[in-house]
Amino acid sequence: MIAGLVLAVLATLAFGALLAVALDGRLAILAAQGARQRVETEAPDRLNRDLAPAWYLALAAIGLSVVPFAEGAALIDSPVGIVVWGSCEALIVVTVFLHGWSPNAPFPLIGAYRYAAIGLPVLLPSMFVLIAAALPAESLSFVAIVDSQRELWNVIRQPLGLPLFCIVALALTLRGPMDYADAADIATGTSAEESGPARVLWDIARAAMLVSVSAIAATVFLGGPLGPVLPGPVWLWLKIAGLMALFVLGGRRIARTTPSRMLSILWVILLPLSFLHLAISGVLAL
Amino acid sequence: MGMSPLARLALRAPVPVFAAIGPGRQADVERLLARRGLRRALTPRDAAVLLLAGDLPPDAMEPLGRVHDQVPRPRRILRWTDRTETGDAVADRLATAWRGLCGGEDGDDDLQPDAPSNAWRGVGPHGQGGTGMMGGTPYGRPMAMTGLDIRDGLQLDRYTARLGPFAPMLPPGLVLELTLQGDVICDAGVVCPPFAQPADADAPVLCSARMLALLGLEDAARRVIRGGRPGALWLRGAVPRGLGRIEGGGDARERLAGYLAGTPAALAVPPLPELLSGLEWAEAMLVLASLPPSSILRATRLREAA
Amino acid sequence: MQTFVILAGWALLAALLARQGMKAAASSAPQAAPFLGGGTPDSHAWQRYHFRPYTMALVFIAFEMEMMFMYPWAVVFVSEGLTALAEMGMFLAILSVGILYGWREGVFRWE
Repeated sequence: MIAGLVLAVLATLAFGALLAVALDGRLAILAAQGARQRVETEAPDRLNRDLAPAWYLALAAIGLSVVPFAEGAALIDSPVGIVVWGSCEALIVVTVFLHGWSPNAPFPLIGAYRYAAIGLPVLLPSMFVLIAAALPAESLSFVAIVDSQRELWNVIRQPLGLPLFCIVALALTLRGPMDYADAADIATGTSAEESGPARVLWDIARAAMLVSVSAIAATVFLGGPLGPVLPGPVWLWLKIAGLMALFVLGGRRIARTTPSRMLSILWVILLPLSFLHLAISGVLAL
Repeated sequence: MGMSPLARLALRAPVPVFAAIGPGRQADVERLLARRGLRRALTPRDAAVLLLAGDLPPDAMEPLGRVHDQVPRPRRILRWTDRTETGDAVADRLATAWRGLCGGEDGDDDLQPDAPSNAWRGVGPHGQGGTGMMGGTPYGRPMAMTGLDIRDGLQLDRYTARLGPFAPMLPPGLVLELTLQGDVICDAGVVCPPFAQPADADAPVLCSARMLALLGLEDAARRVIRGGRPGALWLRGAVPRGLGRIEGGGDARERLAGYLAGTPAALAVPPLPELLSGLEWAEAMLVLASLPPSSILRATRLREAA
Repeated sequence: MQTFVILAGWALLAALLARQGMKAAASSAPQAAPFLGGGTPDSHAWQRYHFRPYTMALVFIAFEMEMMFMYPWAVVFVSEGLTALAEMGMFLAILSVGILYGWREGVFRWE
């Protein structure tokens, strides 16, 4: 059972990341970059430089481990699954920061601090949205949240939830309008001094995180493995793939505003919206 | 041919090009790199081919050497000096160079000597020792020192650097000496004005594409240059209102709206230090991209005359 | 126990991949210089960085503390009923006043 779930997590991450890179149209680009020289900057923080993509990848795997692949079958079947995922989100901010900090170069450093400023307030709507989903389930476990969606998926019962979580997903995977770490005005920011296989590994870790975030969104809002006819895991995979396509294609077509303005938007518009979402979900759950 | 599937896949990748744009060639290069099969790298670390367009003045040769050496190996430098050579021909040359590099050819060597630009004079195990742990000069560079901030007066470190002439977010040729506190520009000075560009570089299509690229819409920018529609949401709205307001020229948001509607802008731009000081980095770059290159050039010349 | 083994397992696997499965980074001296579009810096990039939204970070901590109370609250919400809703409503209302105050003081404006 456990071995099967470990394999399921690994396979989902691997094929999902491949799909994410393909959706981005970057398969050939990564293949070409992998063979090139890996440049070292002046006096870098070598340990953190090497480990930042590793932690990003590990957090993606941990996030996917709390997701039930079939009803009642999650690798980490924790009664506090939401807390486990929440700590993954917080550690993503730290990881991206370290990625920008380690090369000891100006553009990555600006990207790192900029991401910290945007990444922290993004965690708040994320947790309100997830807790709202925990209310009808009366549990913080993802297995129970799936169970609570038997009659009605949360995407309909809590209509503000998925749109708010989309913004969180874009921020956690450094994509499109929420890509404040690797922006063009700072020459791709935290990645500006990375070349060759190091750049590829970071891109793969981002793609793996996209799989993981999509899996969480599919579990919380789209009923996870629930669905007729097909077996549970297949439903989950289909929902993950659909959400990934939404994030990749949607992220490309929305402009990114300046970081200071996004900070205000996050606190003054999105956070109150998530309060409202929690209040509505609370009243409906009673 | 005994090529691995990965290597065959790599051959289909668009050529990653870092552009070093010289006088008069900005529009040519921007149109060239919007083609399919080419990809504009925003940092030399992401590139394999360095495209040098135009004849550089002598004082730009040393910066060119720096950028060239920052491209990972194997790398190739391609010169596009002949104005009559078409974009198709250059694109072909770029593709050939890329295939060669993928096929295992040795690239170009460093242009600069392989010696640290300054001797290591560090104090202590990590070199940062000395007075207040900031006295050493590891790798020949001192650590940043504190100074007053212009926004809130906090005493934190000031980071001074010269940016350009090949910084992809600045007009080609422009070298700015910037002092940053965090990501806010505290002081700005023009070291070299941008290279002169023909009127074509002021085309609304190219101006809007530069802004779109900074808004994270590279695909939209390419579509616009190729003559299509941007096909993206929240374009003007993403530019903060009132940013980079210039008398008689509106703010950056209005200029973007104008470019997208096909109206060129002709502006009397104030001196760049005045325009950029006090702005956060993303805002400052957006303001610069919202100005036509000819206006920026006039603004810097004004400064020299004064 | 099983959870911790799994967490450590993923971390170890990823770290091995990044440290062992990767060629070593190496540069000549001119290659190692930080990228500034051909320009040069006066000092190292590492610095006592002026993190503008630091006041925002303080407000953030208040909300993170609140999150700690929300976890158990979410579990008993349905059984406690309206009382729980009213209590959390009051808590959020008080914190919202904090947001309004911060907004007025320009906490979210990068200063």
